Amino acid sequence: MATETTTDFTLDSAAVLAEDEGGPIEGKSPWLLAWRRLRRNYVALGFLLLFVVIVVACLLAGPYAKHVAHTTPNENHLGETFIKDGKKVPIVSKGGFTGTEFKAGGIPVGPQLWHAGGRYVFGADTQGRDVAVRLLYGGLNSLKVGIGSALICTLFALVFALLAGYYGGWVDWVLSRFFDLIWAFPVLLLAIALGTALSIDGFHHAGINIPAGSLWIPTGVISFVLIPYIARPLRGQILSLREKEFIEAATAQGASSTRVMASELMPNIASSVLVFFTLIIANNILTEAGLSFLGAGVQPPNPSWGTLIADGQSRIATAPWLAIIPGVAIVLTVLSLNIFGDGLRDALDPRAKVRIER
Amino acid sequence: MRSRLKLFQGFGVLTLVAVLAVLAAGCGGGGKKSSSGDSGNAGSSGKTYPLLRTIWDAPDYMDPALAYTVAAWQINWYVYEGLLGYKHVSGADGATLEPYLAESMPKVSADGTKLSFKLRDGLKYSDGTAVKASDFRASIERLFKVDSPGVGFFGVIKGVSGAGGFAETKKGHITGIVTNDSARTIDITLDHPEGDILYILSTQFAAILPAGTPTSDQSTKGIPATGPYMIQNYVPSRSFTIVRNPNYNDQIPTMPSGNPDKMTAKIITDPVAAYQQVVSNKADYDFQVVPNDRLPEAQSKYKDQLKFYTSPNTYYYFLNNKLPPFDNLKARQAVNYAIDRNAIISGVYGGLGRPTQNFLPPDYPQYKKLSSWTYDLAKAKQLVQQSGTAGATVDVYGPNEDPSKSSTEYLASQLSKIGYKPKLHLLSHQVYFTTIGNQATKAQAGFTDWYQDYPHPVDWFDVLLNGNRITKTHNNNSGNVDVPSVNKEIEALKKITELTPEINARWAKVDKDLMVTYATTVAYMNRSQTDFFSTRQDLSCYSFHVLGQWDWGISCEK
Repeated sequence: MATETTTDFTLDSAAVLAEDEGGPIEGKSPWLLAWRRLRRNYVALGFLLLFVVIVVACLLAGPYAKHVAHTTPNENHLGETFIKDGKKVPIVSKGGFTGTEFKAGGIPVGPQLWHAGGRYVFGADTQGRDVAVRLLYGGLNSLKVGIGSALICTLFALVFALLAGYYGGWVDWVLSRFFDLIWAFPVLLLAIALGTALSIDGFHHAGINIPAGSLWIPTGVISFVLIPYIARPLRGQILSLREKEFIEAATAQGASSTRVMASELMPNIASSVLVFFTLIIANNILTEAGLSFLGAGVQPPNPSWGTLIADGQSRIATAPWLAIIPGVAIVLTVLSLNIFGDGLRDALDPRAKVRIER
Repeated sequence: MRSRLKLFQGFGVLTLVAVLAVLAAGCGGGGKKSSSGDSGNAGSSGKTYPLLRTIWDAPDYMDPALAYTVAAWQINWYVYEGLLGYKHVSGADGATLEPYLAESMPKVSADGTKLSFKLRDGLKYSDGTAVKASDFRASIERLFKVDSPGVGFFGVIKGVSGAGGFAETKKGHITGIVTNDSARTIDITLDHPEGDILYILSTQFAAILPAGTPTSDQSTKGIPATGPYMIQNYVPSRSFTIVRNPNYNDQIPTMPSGNPDKMTAKIITDPVAAYQQVVSNKADYDFQVVPNDRLPEAQSKYKDQLKFYTSPNTYYYFLNNKLPPFDNLKARQAVNYAIDRNAIISGVYGGLGRPTQNFLPPDYPQYKKLSSWTYDLAKAKQLVQQSGTAGATVDVYGPNEDPSKSSTEYLASQLSKIGYKPKLHLLSHQVYFTTIGNQATKAQAGFTDWYQDYPHPVDWFDVLLNGNRITKTHNNNSGNVDVPSVNKEIEALKKITELTPEINARWAKVDKDLMVTYATTVAYMNRSQTDFFSTRQDLSCYSFHVLGQWDWGISCEK
């Protein structure tokens, strides 16, 4: 992943700027101007709406499972039937030795949409678990990990960037080498290594006890491995900002380092932080899906979109929906976040080019 | 042995000698009759053909002292031979032992502690050098020098175990093996009678290798062979090639001399990719089980190329009898009622299995079908309530690869349904059995399976469920099953030489006591598997051996 942050400084007149903004800018805060730009970007807003719908749907996983699907995400229904059009239908086809031959079985029922009274809307998996329920719970877990790790990662990256950029010297050297160290590993491989190791016994150090199987493990791993990808560009911005006159002025007036960082530097990088945060959520959801697919993220039987794809992989010929449906969910979520993130970036600073690339 | 990776279990079995070979021969698998190899002098079926192209699973080693997977043994049983071996026929008769490099079955002393063999005359290795009696002793000694997983089998030979024994010093010679090269005799003295010693001498670990074979893994370098074939090359994880042994000259009349002149194997561990190779006629045989996803297609489109077999195995859930909640009989009974055995076979194993409640596989003469546990969740919940263990947390262990993973998930889900709080721990297959075999893990329940090492109930009840054999680490008794009265019975039975109907009935009672009366374990399936062939193969020659599985040496081409 490479991060590029460049700002083109120009001396446009107020009239030119006003023309770009589609209205007068006098007395308007940068945030208000950003909102004005964003609300004109219907594509970005449309995808924001899509993301909100996905989040709300996932948040409703519990009530949906209880009142509509009448099951729980991890409850198997092997050997059971459900009623469809007045007939009993096996949730997973029966197989076994008939006395003379082996009959292949284990093919789960396909998507029923609303023909089964809300059960098996997206079909069942090989253990007879309701795919729609697992998709929503899986989405909830994926979003928890994605958003949680984005928050932690951004927070640590911001603190490290402020310390390294503002103090410089040995503090900058130590933190920069730390970033280099993490950066030296391919990000997914490092995450797999850490995720696999921690998924066995969990994390039990420095008074922190995280059991194996906890969502905090993939959250922590993803946060850790992606810190440099946000901290590096922010540090660059701070290194540039700390030479500015307003920082000198604040220091000359006796402002403490903490105050300079909090009151002068942070507001100036807030828009970048916000854009990074939005984009890194999408990135983290993808990373989580990859880790879970490989068994190093969310641990079974808990679902995540990655584990759902992994489970569906073994039935791709006879039950393709098992892998396709969570795949589509990932695509829509990541697409919505990326397009909204791009729109947000354009709105907050139309001249900046901030992007996260792998 | 476990399903994919055989894990060495232990330390031999105390019963008396000799007659087991015949008496225990009732444990067959597939049931298809072979068109060849069913006589004393197997020879060649006369249907030789130039090339057999196979897709194989990755062997752990090709060095017979180290190899302990089916993938390796199935190859090596035509390459490295020992004094004794199994009859190359399908069905129960395949468990019969025959002299291979030995001229005849051994003479056994009255007290069962001395065995005398004589090598056949004129035996040669594939490099043309003569096979000597002293090579046998060197081969057994080499096991200890290369830290073979099979060393424990040979601890009963005099001079191996104990302080100053060869197992400890690895110097000098094993005093319990006396050889005479000119007379071609091998005399083996045991510390005490060992009922399974002939089976032990029939394992790959007892294959005779040249005395000077280096004491390091020779998988890729090759060792001169004594069987009809030799390994021409082996590239780990990629391929191997087997060709005829130019110096074989039908020196072992009791085994087939083989039909294919050459066998090539591509190592493909992905079952879908392996299956596709045969479908597209790029290979003639798929070692891997046809994946559940492709089974309906294989059964409809390639029905004539597909064979099913059920080797002697049992899949079961262990319940830790020494830890709450499963130190409670009612709690264990509840789990037995909560498992829908047919549903697991359908959903998890794609229909490839037969439900069981016995620990012993059905082909054993000691098998007496048990059917005490009917799937009944309500009763299971009631028993959990009565046991006073409802709400207990249960650490459930299983491998992280399907189908074992799904089977473990099923157990966890059922435990949750009857009132427990399962915590699932899925581990890599490489470390799984070591982890649950360590008492420090405190595994309360989980997945396990067993495939016979040799056809005798001792290999099941003594190795896996005898409380006297519980160990702190590498414990095969995963559920710490320890029923004193049953332990006593097992100890008594394993010393009895003759497996009469009465003795078989006593073994059957052990099965019932452990599986029903004390509900120590949840046996649920005898797993079935597939052999899948290209249209080039003539399956009228198909032969499934109870231990060696598909007998590729007597395969035929159309």
